Amino acid sequence: MIQNDRLRDIFAKALLARSFEARLIKLTAEGFLPPLLHPGAGQEVAQIAALSALKRDDPVLYSHRGVAYMIARGTSLSAMIADMAGRAGGTNNGKGGIMHVVDLPNGIYGESGTLGGGLVVSVGMGMALRRRDPGRVVVHFFGDGASNRGTFHEALNWAAVQKLPCIYICENNGWAVSVPTSVSTAVENIADRAAGYGIPGVVVDGADPDAVMAAVANAARRARAGEGPSLIEIKATRLLGHYAADPQDYRADAASVAQRDPLAALRRRVIELGLLDEAEIEAMTAAHEAEIDLAVEAVKAAPPLDADQAFTDLYA
Amino acid sequence: MRTISYGQAINEALAEEMDRDGDVILYGLDVAAWGGIFNITKGLLERFGPERVFDSPISESVMVGAGVGAAIMGLRPVVELQYADFILVAGDEIFLKAGMWRYMHGGAFKVPLVVRLPSGATGAGPEHSTCPEAYVMHSPGLLCAVPSTAADAKALLKEAIRLDNPVMFFEHRRLYQKRDEVPEGDVTLPFGKGVIRREGRHVTVVAWQYMLSRALKAAELLEQEGIEVEIFDPRTLSPFDSGTLIESVKKTGACLVVEEGYRRLGVGAEIGAILMEQAFGYLDRPFRRLAIPDVPMASVKPLVDRVLPSVEAICDVCRELAA
Ligand SMILES: Cc1ncc(C[n+]2csc(CCOP(=O)(O)OP(=O)(O)O)c2C)c(N)n1
Repeated sequence: MIQNDRLRDIFAKALLARSFEARLIKLTAEGFLPPLLHPGAGQEVAQIAALSALKRDDPVLYSHRGVAYMIARGTSLSAMIADMAGRAGGTNNGKGGIMHVVDLPNGIYGESGTLGGGLVVSVGMGMALRRRDPGRVVVHFFGDGASNRGTFHEALNWAAVQKLPCIYICENNGWAVSVPTSVSTAVENIADRAAGYGIPGVVVDGADPDAVMAAVANAARRARAGEGPSLIEIKATRLLGHYAADPQDYRADAASVAQRDPLAALRRRVIELGLLDEAEIEAMTAAHEAEIDLAVEAVKAAPPLDADQAFTDLYA
Repeated sequence: MRTISYGQAINEALAEEMDRDGDVILYGLDVAAWGGIFNITKGLLERFGPERVFDSPISESVMVGAGVGAAIMGLRPVVELQYADFILVAGDEIFLKAGMWRYMHGGAFKVPLVVRLPSGATGAGPEHSTCPEAYVMHSPGLLCAVPSTAADAKALLKEAIRLDNPVMFFEHRRLYQKRDEVPEGDVTLPFGKGVIRREGRHVTVVAWQYMLSRALKAAELLEQEGIEVEIFDPRTLSPFDSGTLIESVKKTGACLVVEEGYRRLGVGAEIGAILMEQAFGYLDRPFRRLAIPDVPMASVKPLVDRVLPSVEAICDVCRELAA
């Protein structure tokens, strides 16, 4: 079982991620931000629980599904808004928007915009860590859709052969845009494929932070001990559309899915455990909103990026 | 000065750089115990051990993608793709990862990756015989080396390994056995600086690698007819040394590019456009190209020879340009 202070911390970060993302969606609707966010609502608890099992200097290649990975590591909110808004003060000088937030001191190593591209990159990161910095592990998050790229096979096979310190976390939310996993994927569990690489494959419930953390902690222990990679499949819930304004008319459960919100379940649990009461959660939410207000104000006050930034950062 | 082959020169460059820098690693298909299907990495496993020289599975995407990942974490990987054609197998990893990881993450990373690419028409068929450097030249973020001599191969590869940017390093297979004078010791060449291989007044011919040897032969024949051909070897295509080329064209007023890639949107098309934009006033004759007509490279020798720019074809165009 996760210790109480850790559980409280996971809840607080997930709550912040939810509020922050809601604000990004609002700012998008208002026209201040471009419509490029893939909301992570419903997947934050598992994402944050997974990263709670690792160290800050364990590099992360994240998935496009939301912002909770960065919140877990403490990336500046205003920097992320600036990346979306094209203002000064972001992390990638207008080159990568919200898809390529980078924050090396916090172990945020970016993302491949082509799905499955991160799988192969992470293999080399594992090779380098083992050679230069043994004891660190690289974690890569990706969706069930991305797991159907050929790179999944190439990466997991070679990482397994080399026994690299890599953790592969597949967030299976049942959808790749409008395509249900049942239509695209022959196996019930993505984790079953681990057998094909001779590595452990486990399935965990994305609404169960204890299970997620335990699985990642176990994978990290193995990786740090030189026993190689693991595949963890999180059965996840995508509460919103593929993108914020997605009408989701392909989805029968669009209205009812909110009942399966892992953050709501965690909220009930922290209250039951006596870690927080309603009033404290209200206060926490208000503090988050104030923090987000400050970040938004800072970005609105920042100058737009110099368009000549288009020409920088290409060659070292 | 001693002479060694182009292949040996590449082997020496690898060994010297691995010796100099413990972060240089090398992998690819058959490169370890066997020493590479073209024998280029022979002896490196014995010398540097299996941690630094290893075979990879037949997984070109992860070979290049892992190279990007290793490079952003501080290693200097040298990846051998068995055939240059396979840049298209690892397209995402070469063009959208190696070329763009730094850019799309706002300059946070360096990508000191070298991908070695044995190229050239040797009768190995449409998927194992091409010179696909135009794809690389087209793509931002990638550097492209096309060494033509053993000395250049060694010096450019040593430089490529030291650069903090991804380099696609084309090695023409018909040159592997070619011997040249190669100085001993630590010699590098800068990227973006071509060389005039032969001086002449009448026509500038741009050629590299195997086509350079044909251009040099043509120039010798034409000399007997009183036609003086100046030959420019760009050494690297990205960056491309347009300055030296334009100086040459100012002198000759005519330019022919001879390349072993496809003609349509090939390297020659780009060089022609550079001249139109920057040196139009110096051209007395229309810009010309000899390249692979736009058909795939066939397998059997007569068909291959039919599409490769020949010495005779080079002579013919030069005669027209000099007339
Ligand atoms: C190679 C590639 N193909 C298609 C896309 C377009 N695309 C972006 S997200 C997405 C769906 C991804 O589904 P999944 O991997 O399950 O992640 P989820 O969006 O459900 O979190 C698609 C098709 C892409 N970015 N890259």
